[in-house]
Amino acid sequence: MSKGYANNRLTLLAVGVLACFLAVGVRLVFLHVVDREELLGYVDRARRQIVVEHARRGTILDSRGSLLATSRSEITLAVDPWALVEYLELDRNEARREAKAREQQAKRAQLAAILGMSVADIEKAFQPVMKQVRPSLDQKDGTADGLVKDRWTKLREGLDEPTFDRIAALNVRGLTHERIYRRTYPSGGLAANLIGYLNKEGTAVTGAERHFELYLKGEDGWIESEKDGARRELAQFRSREVPARDGHDVVLTIDSVVQHILEEELRTIAGKFNPHFATIIASEPRTGRILGMASYPSFDLNNYSKAPLDAQRNYAVTDIIEPGSTFKIVAAGAALDQGLVSPASAFDCGITSINFQGRDLKLPKEDHPFGTLTVAEIVSHSSNRGAAQLAMLMGAQKFYDYAKLYGFGATTGFQLGGEVRGILEPPSRWDGLTITRMPMGHAVAATPLQIHMAMSAIANGGALLRPQVIQEIRDADGRVVRRFDPEKRAQVVKPSTAALLARLLHGVVGPEGTADGFDIPGFEIAAKTGTTQKIIDGKYSNTHYVGSFIGFFPASRPEIVLSVIVDDAQVPDGKNYGRAVAAPSFKHVAEQLIQYLDIKPVQSYSRNLVAMQGGAL
Amino acid sequence: MKPPPASNLINRVILLTLMLLVFTGTLGLGAVWMRQEISQTANRSRALEDRLTDAQRRLDELSAEVATAVNPRALLRQNETMRLALSTPRETQVQRVAVSAELKLVQKRNLEVFRVETASFASLNRPPEHRPLTVSLQ
Repeated sequence: MSKGYANNRLTLLAVGVLACFLAVGVRLVFLHVVDREELLGYVDRARRQIVVEHARRGTILDSRGSLLATSRSEITLAVDPWALVEYLELDRNEARREAKAREQQAKRAQLAAILGMSVADIEKAFQPVMKQVRPSLDQKDGTADGLVKDRWTKLREGLDEPTFDRIAALNVRGLTHERIYRRTYPSGGLAANLIGYLNKEGTAVTGAERHFELYLKGEDGWIESEKDGARRELAQFRSREVPARDGHDVVLTIDSVVQHILEEELRTIAGKFNPHFATIIASEPRTGRILGMASYPSFDLNNYSKAPLDAQRNYAVTDIIEPGSTFKIVAAGAALDQGLVSPASAFDCGITSINFQGRDLKLPKEDHPFGTLTVAEIVSHSSNRGAAQLAMLMGAQKFYDYAKLYGFGATTGFQLGGEVRGILEPPSRWDGLTITRMPMGHAVAATPLQIHMAMSAIANGGALLRPQVIQEIRDADGRVVRRFDPEKRAQVVKPSTAALLARLLHGVVGPEGTADGFDIPGFEIAAKTGTTQKIIDGKYSNTHYVGSFIGFFPASRPEIVLSVIVDDAQVPDGKNYGRAVAAPSFKHVAEQLIQYLDIKPVQSYSRNLVAMQGGAL
Repeated sequence: MKPPPASNLINRVILLTLMLLVFTGTLGLGAVWMRQEISQTANRSRALEDRLTDAQRRLDELSAEVATAVNPRALLRQNETMRLALSTPRETQVQRVAVSAELKLVQKRNLEVFRVETASFASLNRPPEHRPLTVSLQ
């Protein structure tokens, strides 16, 4: 072989190698420069994925940490029939493929048994089908015929985790699932009107769920990464990751057991009297913390869709009633506070009219005829004429000012919203008789919570507080991020006046009082009965009443304020007075609360009045 | 001086090329190994995250079940089903103790220990069955 021939061959080889390199280079230029955008788009569609990580909604707890609302995962089970086909097609061995198919069929039969479905229905769901899409979207299988593989056939919704675990253990090919969080309320209807609920779309509708949505909701996160051919995430290709932030927990001041006691009592009231509505509120006077707030009618939070809208209202704040005789604490408290009268001051309550500012005014009727009564007796006997004379003694403006101080005519600042202001007109808009009627709780309207908080002010040394229904907000790790402390709204009367009035209210359950027999020995019940005629078609009805019993105990060391209000009780003899329809429930609830909250009876040596020391604030 | 022969130079070039190839190959293999490790670590990390999420989910599930089981109404039902006849005590059933309950119990126990009837000569040779208790008065 000549040397020149060998050189030629080497040159040819070198050119060939260079040409190959050049071809590779050109292809690379096409891939990376010319077709870059198109190819990147394809990769993006085929491999890139953004997975949203849903934040867990915070829980709602009672003051003792019992769960009132939480989120439970539920699984939606579906079938990707094409995944099964592809799995079987991977195996080229005919015999082995058939064995695999038989094995999968047996598993599907087990799946049917777990789901309580027929095998035929399951097999139908596993039949691969094509679905129609817009041709512009049909780019996945290479042909733009408007048909793509249907990879999602829903089998069952709302599966719980244990059931799903059993299904997952079967390892059925082609099964796919989606996990969602559904709100659940472990206590059913307990405190339903306070907690509120989330509807099917996950929108908070009422109560704490709605008003604390900002805290409860949390923030969803997301992960940008790539997936493999089997749609599994390739974690090494995660490019961006924003972690989800779980929602905060909301701790209510409600005590589940207290709430349960109130709701059981309401159930009894409903069974006995079938009222239009009824509500019971229990709170701590020194902090304004609501321990329980129950309304009738109510509903089951887990079946909210079946509850009528009327049952979903929190009557304690959404409805107004005339307070009736419970409003007499305003006139009595104001007169005592200004030093116009003492408990022993006497008034003639037998008169039928009185001269006020140069005009003779007709005084309201009494339930029983009275003669001369002291202020203490006006309170204990609930004298309408006595209360009117007390108000006249101080004048319309002063009386109105005190009523406002008690919180009437303004919202209480209830944290769950839905509250109405009530009606309290200024003296300029009063008619001639209002000064005689308002002191007995007519010509004024208030929510049950307003009346409750007014009584609570007496129990708290004259300090009117904002009702607290939220105790604190905790983050997902249990750290307290916000605490709600007692909030004073006004000093209604002097602490000494409050203590004096508390003693007078204790007389209501005494032998001469309107609620004789409803005291609990050793616990000094201080309360006021109330019976108001309802206004039907613009007139006071003689058959429809609102009966109430509002009070606190022990009178000299108030620990619990309790209100029972029954609207339009159906009583056979028509005597639906506060004493008959509300006082027995008050006593029954108080007896249970004394035991549950371990309230000590008042000892002779501890009769130093907390109210006299000015209460907590 | 005589220049080195051309074959020596070629040999050096070949040697250097080989070394470069080995070095580059090692680098390449190292990069592949590193990517593999990154991939495995990422997958392990994801698996751990999934387990954590799963544990949290199961914890929530369990908490909800516990809450359902111990809510007042469910407990009352249990009370009826199991015929326990448990009920809230009434004030008349409650005996309030003004002095320290602990002190009272210790006094009662010590009274039993030092009771004359229970003492006997036979017990002198064996350790006492009861141990006297004391309590600090606060």
